[in-house]
Amino acid sequence: MIRFLDISNHTLFWYYLASNIAYLIMLITALKTSATHQRRLESHRLNWIKDSPLAPPIAIIAPAHNEEGSIRVAVRNLLELDYPELEVIVVNDGSKDRTLEELREEFRLRPVRAVYVPDVQSAPVRGLYRSDADARLLVVDKEPGGSKADAVNAGLNAVTSPYVCVVDADSVLERDALLRIMIPILADPKRVVAVGGIIRVLNGSEIQGGTLRRVRLPRKSIEVIQVIEYLRAFLIGREAWAQGNMLTIISGAFGLFRTDLVRAVGGYRSRAIGEDFDLVARLHRHLLEKGANYQIRFVPDPMCWTEVPSDLKSLGRQRARWQKGLLDVLWPNRDMLFRPRYGRIGSFAFPYLWLFELLAPVVEIVGIATIVLAACLGVLSREFFLQFLIFGYAFATVISIGSVLQEEITYKRYNDWQDVTRLVSYCFLEHFPYRQLHMIWRLQGLWQYLRGDHVWRPLKRKGLDSARAQ
Amino acid sequence: MESIFEKLWRLGPAAFVLKAIVAAIVADALLLAFILLRRTYRKRFFAKRDARVFELRQKWDELISGMIPYETWRKKPFDRRIVETIALDAFEAAGPQESARLLRFLRESGLIEKRIFEARQFTGWRRMRALVALGRTRAPEGVPALAEALRDSDLEVRLAALRGLGRIACPEAGEEILTWLGERGLTVPALPLQSALIQCCAERPQLLTPYVQHAEGPVRELLGRVLGEVATPSMGMDLLQFMGDEREELRAAAARAMSHVGSGLAFDVLNELARDPVWFVRLRAIVGLGGLCDPRAIPALMGGLVDSNRLVRLRAAEALVQLKTQLAPIFEQVVETGDRYGLHAYLTALENADLRAKLEQELQISAEITEEERDRLLKVLQTGCLLPEESAKTGSLSDKAALLQ
Repeated sequence: MIRFLDISNHTLFWYYLASNIAYLIMLITALKTSATHQRRLESHRLNWIKDSPLAPPIAIIAPAHNEEGSIRVAVRNLLELDYPELEVIVVNDGSKDRTLEELREEFRLRPVRAVYVPDVQSAPVRGLYRSDADARLLVVDKEPGGSKADAVNAGLNAVTSPYVCVVDADSVLERDALLRIMIPILADPKRVVAVGGIIRVLNGSEIQGGTLRRVRLPRKSIEVIQVIEYLRAFLIGREAWAQGNMLTIISGAFGLFRTDLVRAVGGYRSRAIGEDFDLVARLHRHLLEKGANYQIRFVPDPMCWTEVPSDLKSLGRQRARWQKGLLDVLWPNRDMLFRPRYGRIGSFAFPYLWLFELLAPVVEIVGIATIVLAACLGVLSREFFLQFLIFGYAFATVISIGSVLQEEITYKRYNDWQDVTRLVSYCFLEHFPYRQLHMIWRLQGLWQYLRGDHVWRPLKRKGLDSARAQ
Repeated sequence: MESIFEKLWRLGPAAFVLKAIVAAIVADALLLAFILLRRTYRKRFFAKRDARVFELRQKWDELISGMIPYETWRKKPFDRRIVETIALDAFEAAGPQESARLLRFLRESGLIEKRIFEARQFTGWRRMRALVALGRTRAPEGVPALAEALRDSDLEVRLAALRGLGRIACPEAGEEILTWLGERGLTVPALPLQSALIQCCAERPQLLTPYVQHAEGPVRELLGRVLGEVATPSMGMDLLQFMGDEREELRAAAARAMSHVGSGLAFDVLNELARDPVWFVRLRAIVGLGGLCDPRAIPALMGGLVDSNRLVRLRAAEALVQLKTQLAPIFEQVVETGDRYGLHAYLTALENADLRAKLEQELQISAEITEEERDRLLKVLQTGCLLPEESAKTGSLSDKAALLQ
């Protein structure tokens, strides 16, 4: 028993060390990549892209389910984006409120029999509407499909542009976000098949008429911690993975894809729990099996601001769902692991996700349990325990502060001194007890999935109006 | 007395964790210090810059007219950068008169010469920055330096040079790009290259013709696409040679270009290309025919409406709807085709253009159709479905079209 506890404690230590070293490597890679990206941007003038006759058309798909409070502002925001060739497709996913009526009144919709080819599966479409106020707007009214993926698929069937950008109707895109996200595609249209943009936390910021007026840090601790998590995930994790062409997630709130490829893989999987991750995994599989020379890129500057959960219950549900989504994708794709055919995705990206993302809550919870048990049995070296605790804490803080540094030297959206001081303070505070709570939620997610609960449940959000009021 | 590091080192391998802790704490402190110092520095820098920008703005007219001697600010890099940035930003939005004034200022103050020097002498990011600035000046004397940078080994520098030349947008810049393309082939991504060539060759598209004739492979296709964008009516005869080219990209480019040429010669060529075996050549031809807005294009557009490719059908339908004076007879022909996919595409285009009510009205008052025919057409318009006898006529054709999508 004692031997087992000793091995367990040491395994936990090496696991932590490996995980943090991986993140440290990612931090260094991300800092270097960001610096290169910033330099590269100096040779791009966004208005040159805007004036170019060669900018490929983009269709934005914005699924909306019971969004009556924010849909007008959200759609107006999308139509005001800077891009020469734009098509906006709003999918009313069987809303029970006045979402469709709000759209009808604001954009003078009239029913049309637009071409709708059901290339990918979705719930039946009730009608299509074209706006008289802005001909670029098409509204697809459909039966409720029970998932965002189903709604996006319906939009996908109505798309006529070669590139499709999926956004959440309640997110706020910066005006030049599309021009920025197109930069990798314009530079290499043959190889770049998808681009992910960065998602930032909207809570606490001031928005007016669908446009972000002032970026502020949210007031609640739980929201500030999420700001750090998002910075870490996007500015370090995704930036680094994309550098090695191993990006496996493009956030469902803002991503750009080649339409033909999304259709070729059958669109979004309606029953997927993490539909965004699932799509990118299937794109990798499809392209790798064809032996294609392709790239999936991440661009850190086209910003999409989205609302994050502001209470523990919603956050817990979200994180449990993310964990379920992870397992829901990794398990069916387990055949990709360590097979040369699947290149870096099978050799590095997926094994990393298995080991340090999927199994992390199990390892950590088991680790904590064995430490407590060892302490109870009196076989825990107090010195080792303390060292381990301080080391884990200090190292994790380096990564968190590193992500704040990354935001500071690149995009610097939090201009207020008070905001930065709070952000840095939370880099020290997030590790206890939030981290442990987070592990429990993730473990719950795994347990729910293993019990057969594979249902996609939308989260309750306050909407853009409430963000404005904050 | 031994130092703390010596004490730590003496602990040996057992102190690995302790060393890691120290390293992590030091890293934390360094990161925090860096953030703090950077913020403080930037705050002071921007305050200073803001104040200086304000001062220079106050005497901007005197500054660019030369009343204030250039030497007073040129020797100070901080001031020089501000003046150049203000001038280049103003240049982006300036009208012809203001542009000429700004260009004169940039020349007389030696800023362009300085950037030319930097574009030639520097490497890496500094060269790239100079190339971008040079492009933004739109000064033709910058063309040779930009052309030299096209031969740089760094792709980013080549792209910056290409964008700069595109910004200058003069035939001389176009010629430099074409010469380099002939020498080195396609060493940059196609889109920025196309974009630069379109900008540079818009004034004199004839420049492209000999290069298209002699180029091979992907370069030939790319030049064909550029030609398709910039062709003018005077190039009609030159474009004819590409109509039968073995490369479909060239035929598509010819189709695109012919739409700029004018109706006389264009009709025959576009009619021919609208029957091409490759769908995107047909698509270009149909779009070209639509652009002519001439009723003589109706038969070819009807052919496009029953095409096996969805995009061709959609564009043909849009082109037919654009012929607003002929709504009723065209709709009659659409129904006559008996193709439900074609009908669907036509109705979509009609409703997108908000012309359904107009067509209904035209059908109601048209004296050229019988009462029975009128009822039939109105019914098709209202239901969006072909009557059984019509769809039976060409059912097999429609099914084939659907399969070929």
